[in-house]
Amino acid sequence: MTRRFRCAAIPVLLCASALAPAAAEAKPRVVATLADLWAVTEQLVDGQVDVELATHFGQNPHDFEIRPSQILLVKRADLLIRNGLEEDAWIDPIVESSGNPKLLRGSPNVVEAAQGVQVLKIPRGPIDRSLGDVHPLGNPHFVADPRNLPIVSANIVAGLSRIMPELAATFEANRTAFLAKVGAAYAGWRQTLAPHRGFGLVSYHDSWPYFEQAFDLAECGIEEDRPGIPPSPQHLTLLIRAMKEKRCTVILHESWYPTDVSAFVARETGAKVLIVPQTPGAVPGTKDYFTWMDFLVDSLARALP
Amino acid sequence: MRKRSRGRRVFLLVAGCLFAPGLAQAQEAEGLRQQLEEMRKQFDAMRQQYESRMQELNERVQKLEAQKAGPATPPAGPPPAPPALTQAAPPASTEPPLMELLRPHQPFAFAGPGRVLLFDIGVAGDFVADFTSNKAERLQDGTFNGRENRVFPRHVELILAGRVDPYASAAVRFTGADESKGPGRRAEITAKLEEANGTLLTLPFGTTMRFGLMAPRFGTLNVVHEDDLPQVDRPDVLRRFFGQEELNTEKGVEAFWLLPTPFYQEVSLGVFNGDNEEAFGRGSIRDPLILGRLRNFWELGEGGGLQIDVSGGTGETADDRRNTIAGLGAKYKWFPPTGYPFPLITLAGEAIYGNRGLALTNGAGQGSTHWRESRGYYLYGQYDWTKYWAAGLRYDWTELPTSSGREWALAPYLQYKPSEFLRFRVEYKHTTGAGPIRDADEVFLQGSFVMGVHPTERF
Repeated sequence: MTRRFRCAAIPVLLCASALAPAAAEAKPRVVATLADLWAVTEQLVDGQVDVELATHFGQNPHDFEIRPSQILLVKRADLLIRNGLEEDAWIDPIVESSGNPKLLRGSPNVVEAAQGVQVLKIPRGPIDRSLGDVHPLGNPHFVADPRNLPIVSANIVAGLSRIMPELAATFEANRTAFLAKVGAAYAGWRQTLAPHRGFGLVSYHDSWPYFEQAFDLAECGIEEDRPGIPPSPQHLTLLIRAMKEKRCTVILHESWYPTDVSAFVARETGAKVLIVPQTPGAVPGTKDYFTWMDFLVDSLARALP
Repeated sequence: MRKRSRGRRVFLLVAGCLFAPGLAQAQEAEGLRQQLEEMRKQFDAMRQQYESRMQELNERVQKLEAQKAGPATPPAGPPPAPPALTQAAPPASTEPPLMELLRPHQPFAFAGPGRVLLFDIGVAGDFVADFTSNKAERLQDGTFNGRENRVFPRHVELILAGRVDPYASAAVRFTGADESKGPGRRAEITAKLEEANGTLLTLPFGTTMRFGLMAPRFGTLNVVHEDDLPQVDRPDVLRRFFGQEELNTEKGVEAFWLLPTPFYQEVSLGVFNGDNEEAFGRGSIRDPLILGRLRNFWELGEGGGLQIDVSGGTGETADDRRNTIAGLGAKYKWFPPTGYPFPLITLAGEAIYGNRGLALTNGAGQGSTHWRESRGYYLYGQYDWTKYWAAGLRYDWTELPTSSGREWALAPYLQYKPSEFLRFRVEYKHTTGAGPIRDADEVFLQGSFVMGVHPTERF
């Protein structure tokens, strides 16, 4: 009898222990697909809500492999913040596997952060994979321009307020404070980069059109001529020639790409290679929006002639 | 006199002929000028009307925009910027517009301006060149039996997938493959419907349910399509237990749940006809094939992950004998957590146990059941030293589920992926068999491509 009772008690206790954390955690959970959206959302909730990241910091969202732990994360979430320009299209099968219909696309619990943003580099003409892993809806790295944050933060606050209307005023106040801080910081960043206005940058991936626009910098070239495809020798030859002609001396190399191509181009042109985080947290010490932008701006200011 | 008057008449006639058109033209020109003047006046009046109307509308639009943008405009004025960007007001609502919902989710699904398709389309092609030693070819006992020393399309698939409505999604997959037609006959290309199922996404209690024709959740590799396998061929244990057709075209219903545990635990339960002829074959819902799986996953540090799955299934064979199978799979992956995510290390294995009733007939014609236990497993390790290059080694050991005999095999392989959508492999496989299985040496060359939509890589 005692033994039978013990046998029955084990699964009951297991179930109870499994359910206990779910019951104790009443705070709504927010999942952001990308680190830049996570960094902005963190500023807006200011500790009122748990914000989790669907990827790892420093993980390239282009080469993404679905892990079951991400399905679990989405299963528990109340709000999903996604990029909206298909940078994170991998989230759809995760949501479908999670059994959480609240986060299916089109639901009020899903925020498309890009909505309303003036999107750059929307491809024209026929689009197919001969162009590589191209983004048909335009370049998705819009958070790198601080001037897009009023729109992006408004989208996120609207989503947060839909699931937590009682905290809507708090979120709006947080947003106001965040934007004021961004405004002041942006003025400083612009001042830092002011002497380098119009300077051309080379990057491995096409990650910086918004950043360049925000700071009056120019795009000198991209090593990866077709996203996701290793650059061809012909393209690199042309790039090296253009860099020499236009005197482009800085290569922004996103930390999660192999460095061999950038090192080769730098050797041929005498340019400096800056290993930079494409998103917050991709390099240690850059996890929030301000430290991330500080890192980018300061590295550039030091490297540019 | 008469001559003079005649002359005057002639003169008047000539003058009339000469000047009459001029007069008429002058009158006409005058008329046109007046008409033009009238039209100009009308146009001016219309322009004034339109201008005043436009001004009125502009004022109304500005008033509305001011009302709409008022609360959403950042109080902390965004930093100095070109006017075109600062004027971009946050949208009033974050509800996606209708066209956004209609647009296919995957990036390459006929995306493009003005081209909207309500579901995704993908094509995958997988071609193999098989070089097999003579004896195995004669006996048609190679890994790809009936296709020894041939180049063949192992698997070409057309997949159509997308959302049905807000509550469900669906996937349909047609495949064409060079399939063996039995001993002494050349393989032929056969087309078939391999998957056609709907998934209900909004059921209560976090339930997700699939119905139709599908690859059921059993084991680790059973749910993986041919073109996504980690090696060129499916491991021997799966091939011997489930045959060339594999356990991937079952018809039935499957439900799965994520348990509310601190780590990932997915439970699935399915009821199927049991159409797989090698393992079951009863093919009737009266004696259904029941499959279940528990899949667990743990993050081990920043870059590591471990998955362990336990599966079980029971069904009837074509000769009304029970066959029960159980599976245990494990997979571990590690990649550097920051920076370039390579090298990537994968270690995985899967073991299958079967207990099957075999029909026996004695000399007197009386039937009885002989219970046969069999087991097998595979282990492999893969090292991806860049995004493009990988090498690995797989070891197979398996018994035959219906007769005595066993085999082991060792298969090193090399993989090159120029892009996410194109892959080449070369694999050498040495098999040593006992009982009816012969020793064999085989070399496979594989080329695979994907066009259009393709599922995101899974752990």
